[in-house]
Amino acid sequence: MYAIIDCDNCYVSCERVFRPDLNGKPVVVLSNNDGCVVARSNEAKALGIKAGLPYYQLKERFPNGEVTVFSSNYELYGDITDRVMSLVRKAAPTFYRYSIDEGFCDLSGMDNYDLKKWGEDLSAYIWKATRMPVSIGIAPTKTLAKMASHYAKKYKGYNHCCFIDTDERRIKALEKYEIEEVWGIGRRYAARLQALGIKTALDFASHADSWVRATLNNVVAIRTWKELNGEDCIPMEDMSKKKSICTSRSFPGMVTDMDALRTSISNFAARCAEKLRKQESVAQTVSVFIDTNHFREDLPQYWNMAEERLLTPTNSTQQIVQTATRCTERIFRQGYHYKRAGVIVMGISPDNGVQTNFIDYDAERHEKMKRLDEALDKINREYGSETIVLGSQQYTKPGGKGKADVFKDSIKHDFRSPCYTTRWSDIPEAT
Amino acid sequence: MEDNKPIDGAEYISLEDAKRLKLPYFEGLAAGYPSPAGDYQHESLDLNEKFVHHPEASYFVRVRGESMVGLGLFDGDICLADRSEEITDGNIVVAFVNGGLTVKQIDLSTKDKGYLRLMPANPNFKPIIIDAYDQFILQGKVTSIHRDTRKY
Repeated sequence: MYAIIDCDNCYVSCERVFRPDLNGKPVVVLSNNDGCVVARSNEAKALGIKAGLPYYQLKERFPNGEVTVFSSNYELYGDITDRVMSLVRKAAPTFYRYSIDEGFCDLSGMDNYDLKKWGEDLSAYIWKATRMPVSIGIAPTKTLAKMASHYAKKYKGYNHCCFIDTDERRIKALEKYEIEEVWGIGRRYAARLQALGIKTALDFASHADSWVRATLNNVVAIRTWKELNGEDCIPMEDMSKKKSICTSRSFPGMVTDMDALRTSISNFAARCAEKLRKQESVAQTVSVFIDTNHFREDLPQYWNMAEERLLTPTNSTQQIVQTATRCTERIFRQGYHYKRAGVIVMGISPDNGVQTNFIDYDAERHEKMKRLDEALDKINREYGSETIVLGSQQYTKPGGKGKADVFKDSIKHDFRSPCYTTRWSDIPEAT
Repeated sequence: MEDNKPIDGAEYISLEDAKRLKLPYFEGLAAGYPSPAGDYQHESLDLNEKFVHHPEASYFVRVRGESMVGLGLFDGDICLADRSEEITDGNIVVAFVNGGLTVKQIDLSTKDKGYLRLMPANPNFKPIIIDAYDQFILQGKVTSIHRDTRKY
């Protein structure tokens, strides 16, 4: 049996942890730069607020503060969800975190447990300890477990845990589940299936093996079909081996010169290095992409990507920033308005026993960079992120005068909540 | 679905994969006569281990004001609050009351009469009476108090 643990309206729920007065009220979280709505409480959904709604439109519709708005505070969400996942890890024999707000457990060896009760108790304890509402789905395959978690979320009667333990329950669950909601079936693929008359998960699962093979001829679709029919065939490793980290942003305006672009990319690269160190891993390849604004058909369009493979995998800020800068210089073209850029680090492995390359490896330099990064992380943890940055991460003020800006100040976040649990300056105060 | 987007577009690799094996560090290993202390190699004392019983359920709160000085909570002190601890009569608790956070000693003896009291530990302050009409949300039990005493 597998269990999936899914945080309900994750970002909004994180915002409510230290604002319990907002429980039961409409709350939304905005994307980076306060652009549009990315997360909504159930009450906000009930008001008809759609995901992706631009903030200025939200303001027009609800001018009197009927909806509480937050800028995204990933530092807070990261810490709260880490707590949740840590509790799940302690409650199950094997656990894989799948994304910021969901994780899978392999429940093999728990046959003697009342799994429905296990799930209900775990959900209740997580709520008590962290104030994060979670839904738990338990089923013989991961695809069915994901479906079960959806039912647990949708219907109060399940008490936060839905267990698909019999074939009868499985059929009932499939029957009411739209094909495009099935895990592993993308929106585009769902459209293809719908054209073939497949509306629900049951329509899909009831087709014969031979039909699926002949008509669809797609590995993922066949695997999903098997999973829906109760055959466990997605290995756990497939889910944890998402071995790349990406940091990317849309720019508030548009970027035209190399200096500004290089600064942004330095910051994305530094973020990637920090994330690598946080999870104690190193990357082999650094790649950079830049893109113009596709909505501006009046402007010339350009997209490109460059990557560089390092001789020795690393998580050093300096090295990753330097590599990303070299990549940027290779693909930058003058005369375009850049709207989006990003850095992706790939070939990630644990930071122990790094395969060193003898030509490239300089033990003394490696040790120095490591100490520098440790000091960097320590200071930025204690005094807030980006207290110390590389010179290349600083933005010049317009006109080249005044103190340079760092990344976090160049992003708009007018409604950001305090980092209650990760910064001494932000901890809650009680009278 | 919108909540499933990973942080900053980042994808997580499992912590299991990235876990580093930590080994105790022995200085001067195999150089000359082994240290007689080697057999008594021990982790140093860790304040977290002593005071943070449920790390996932715990958070820090800064005390503001003088209402709890009688129980040793001074302005500026940092308390550790634990949401998972069971709360019984007389515990020091953190609670969200009518829009604000407060730290007080809880008095449950009047519960049968339909209200409870949050007791200050300072004669200059009045107890807060909580009945059905108040917004009252418990935020955990205070499990330890921390103060930098270098200023004394």
